[in-house]
Amino acid sequence: MATVEKPRAFIRPDGKEKVTGTGRYTADLVLAGELVAKFRYADHTHARITRIDTTRARALPGVLAVVTHEDVPDVLYGGMVQDRRLFAKDTVRFEGDIVAGVAATTAEIAEQAAALIEVDYEPLPVVTDFEAALADDATLVHPTWESYEGDEALGRHENTLGYSTIVKGDADAALASADVVVKGRYVTDPVQGVPIEPRAVIAQWQGDKLTVWTSTQVPYAARAGVATTLQIPESNVRIVVPLLGGGFGAKCDFHFEGHVAALAKAARRPVKLVFSRREEFFAVGHRREGMVLEFETGARADGTLVARKARLVLDKGAYCGEGGFFAQMAAMHALGPYELENVHIESSLVYSNNQPSSSIRAPTAPQVCWALEQHMDELAVALGMDPVDLRRKTIVETGSVTATGQVLENIAMRETLEKAVEMIGYGQELPEDEAIGVAVGWWPCFASKSGAYVKLNPDGSGTIITGAQENGTGSVMAMPTYVAAELGMQPEDFSMLYQDTDAAPWDMGSCGSQTTFNSGRAVIAAAVDLRDQLLDAAAEKLEASRDDLELTGGSILVKGSPDKSVSIADLAGEGTFHGKSEDVVPDGPEAPAEGCVGRLGLESFHAPQLIAHAVRVRVDRGTGVARVLEVAAAHDCGKILNRIGADGQVYGGVVMGIGQALSEGTQLDAEGRHRNAHLTDYKLVTASDAPRIDVAWIETDTPGAGPKGSKGVGEPPCVPTAGAVANAIAKVIGARVHKLPMTPERVWEAGA
Amino acid sequence: MSVQTFTTATSVDDAVAAVAAGARPVAGGTDLVVGARSGKSTMPESVVAIHRVAELHGVESLADGGLRLGALASHAEIAASDDVRSRFTALSDASAIVGSHATRAQGTVGGNLMNASPAMETGGPLVCLGATVTLRSPSGTRSVAVEDLWTGPGKTSAAADELLVGVEIPAPPAGTGSAYLRLEYRRQMEIAVVGASAAVTVADGLVTDARVAMTALSATIRRIPEAEAALIGSDGGSAAIESAGAAVAAASTPISDVRGSADYRRAMAAVIARRAIDQALSRARGENA
Repeated sequence: MATVEKPRAFIRPDGKEKVTGTGRYTADLVLAGELVAKFRYADHTHARITRIDTTRARALPGVLAVVTHEDVPDVLYGGMVQDRRLFAKDTVRFEGDIVAGVAATTAEIAEQAAALIEVDYEPLPVVTDFEAALADDATLVHPTWESYEGDEALGRHENTLGYSTIVKGDADAALASADVVVKGRYVTDPVQGVPIEPRAVIAQWQGDKLTVWTSTQVPYAARAGVATTLQIPESNVRIVVPLLGGGFGAKCDFHFEGHVAALAKAARRPVKLVFSRREEFFAVGHRREGMVLEFETGARADGTLVARKARLVLDKGAYCGEGGFFAQMAAMHALGPYELENVHIESSLVYSNNQPSSSIRAPTAPQVCWALEQHMDELAVALGMDPVDLRRKTIVETGSVTATGQVLENIAMRETLEKAVEMIGYGQELPEDEAIGVAVGWWPCFASKSGAYVKLNPDGSGTIITGAQENGTGSVMAMPTYVAAELGMQPEDFSMLYQDTDAAPWDMGSCGSQTTFNSGRAVIAAAVDLRDQLLDAAAEKLEASRDDLELTGGSILVKGSPDKSVSIADLAGEGTFHGKSEDVVPDGPEAPAEGCVGRLGLESFHAPQLIAHAVRVRVDRGTGVARVLEVAAAHDCGKILNRIGADGQVYGGVVMGIGQALSEGTQLDAEGRHRNAHLTDYKLVTASDAPRIDVAWIETDTPGAGPKGSKGVGEPPCVPTAGAVANAIAKVIGARVHKLPMTPERVWEAGA
Repeated sequence: MSVQTFTTATSVDDAVAAVAAGARPVAGGTDLVVGARSGKSTMPESVVAIHRVAELHGVESLADGGLRLGALASHAEIAASDDVRSRFTALSDASAIVGSHATRAQGTVGGNLMNASPAMETGGPLVCLGATVTLRSPSGTRSVAVEDLWTGPGKTSAAADELLVGVEIPAPPAGTGSAYLRLEYRRQMEIAVVGASAAVTVADGLVTDARVAMTALSATIRRIPEAEAALIGSDGGSAAIESAGAAVAAASTPISDVRGSADYRRAMAAVIARRAIDQALSRARGENA
């Protein structure tokens, strides 16, 4: 393989326009004659709708369309369960349920019209306590749940949307004979993705053809959602993604493209929706879920984990969306990367009248890891062992068999742990208000089909056509780097066409840490195809055998005869070179998972990524304010193909993890309404709070990995951070904080 | 409602005339515009921009040892002043931590005071430093002690036709040190949940004067006479500081909201007040800058 010269000098092509303010995001686009969309949201978090009257709204001058459930096909949609309508028909189930949409000439008129829509309700009991929603006599969020289409394996029953267990051996018997048993109960608040760009959607119809410009991480899912809800062929829908101002998972899934398209159709004009910051908090059916977690672990005196029992309850909120798999994913994280002799984990994903939860960066993992890693430290205390020594004794390694029966091959859990504690200087003397906490975690890869083309332009430059999206994760940097490496060219030689569903083959989108794993695999395969074409052409031109040729420095030359060469630019001017991928999706590992229910395919972790974070924290014991001073993050994410991008993912993920640990949490009132839907009181970590972060990559060659031995990178960095911070806080204050986020008040209450 | 009339004043007289005619003055816009965008208040019908009025700018050390701040002195400007940092240190502490870099570059001391938030940073220090504000109307000029300026959250004793044009701080007596401290969950973009200011004068090992004010713990920022009494005449030792802190906690009437419970705020009132007093005492004794 050719090496890329000067990799660190490659500046991502969207960087300059983003930081200088010249970049165009969806909200910046203006279409001739466009109208402004506003929604009328539910006036109750759970209520039956008895009447909707739009007469007064329609009569307001400047209003061109008002759309309710009556104006769109009566279609239920949703990822693993179809339980939602674009516009509420008979029931509203959370604060952000949309009853109607308005398109008007100005935002003020649209807002006024939305308020003029008359909606009568019969309020229903509100289910905000998601643990209580499991009770037999609980109010049902979806009384007609049995009639919904959904994945059979979810095990749905009343308010339980998903139920999953992991069972191995006899956990109760093993606990009874364990030398030491510890128990703990932990509760987490919901957390938001908080992309800095509030989402925007513009829809325009030309005859039967619809174009939607939208800030989505998953344009192909958005296209499918529009087609399903409006009952039109997918081929009539084109999704274009202008610059995307972050997503962190919150812009995965189909969200508002259908509503805006319906308004544009009714108004016969282009319609633009731009969310306020408040809407970006409460109206998006996509946040990190609150959880209740109960753990009980038994160990022998030497630390061997003889049994773990866990009961997890996850708040799904009002609708399924794409997060139907959470019960099983959370159960897998309740195992953690540990050797366990006996296991009984029970995980329930429960409907409530809270905001729906779906994938936010490493969904379910940070919360479960935070609870489990505290629980492990509590076990270490009970055993009289150092917490790192307990982990050394109990973590999985190559050859370990997980509780579901997956054999782990070529993983570097132990090496990441050792590297993290080495980097932080574990064991050093510290001031009494400081301590080091350590946590480990894991995360799977998600294999999916993907496709790409790479073409050469007559001037010798190239264009990469891919469905990989740029959610801030650096695909615009990675893809040209990968292709240039195959072709002996420079990353700067390539432009990317990646934002248009009519251009590129289907792609999963920017989610599941999959961009390098799947989109990267396709792009590299397309580059290899193009490389073959170039070698064939050069062999003919240079009258040399293909085997004697090499691509380097933008030319193809005959090895050993430097004067016999042809530049790629010259070849490009003479032909139409275009490579396309032939996709081979790597197989995932098998796991028998005997006795486990709610199996959705996550009972084995495909090419698992292993993570160890060690953090040094200072706690102000007078106030409970904790500050993370230093983070050492060691990751086994396979081979690292783009070091700048990979490091960047860790910096961002760790800071996000610190926010989850200390300050980020949505507070709900008794009816499930947001109390802090703004950036003043939903406290993100600022650049001034960010600590020193040291990153180490332990490169392994895991079977089933992505291109060139890579695994995912984007999600794992926020998995163990909160757990490590929690363990450090507990060491300083001598008490456990059982609620997440661990705000100053909670740390103070716990006994700072 | 959107803004119907927008004028730009180039002199104090212009600005005062516009205010008297019903316009809201805008300088940095960090409260007016942000408040309207978040739905907290509506934009006024009539606005007069005063940022170009040269006389309203400046941080000026006076011949008598006092300090004059133009209404338009920005937090960044105040925080960068060596004189403010060495002699009016509590104000320097406060100006340096208002909002974010952008807020400090844009926001002004006049706007901060007239916004009358009980959580504002600069208020407590100015109260403790004995500052007065100058209010000007078409009929004349008057001085008001900063602590008499606020009548409730968002409310001031200024008449509708008065514009705050400047702030004067008298020369602190020799042996004075001051400090402002805020409970903060993060380092930027923070709003005080609990804040405390102290200005103390020490002579011959005894506290001869003390002013203590609390921020975000009642409807307006105000001095706590019981805390001051606990310090005056004492040696400024830990017992005096302890009882002054307890007096601040006892005087506070905190609320419970998303930022913290009343119980936590009351407990923190004592902690933060003790630390602010301790810091002010150290500075008075010349123990640190």
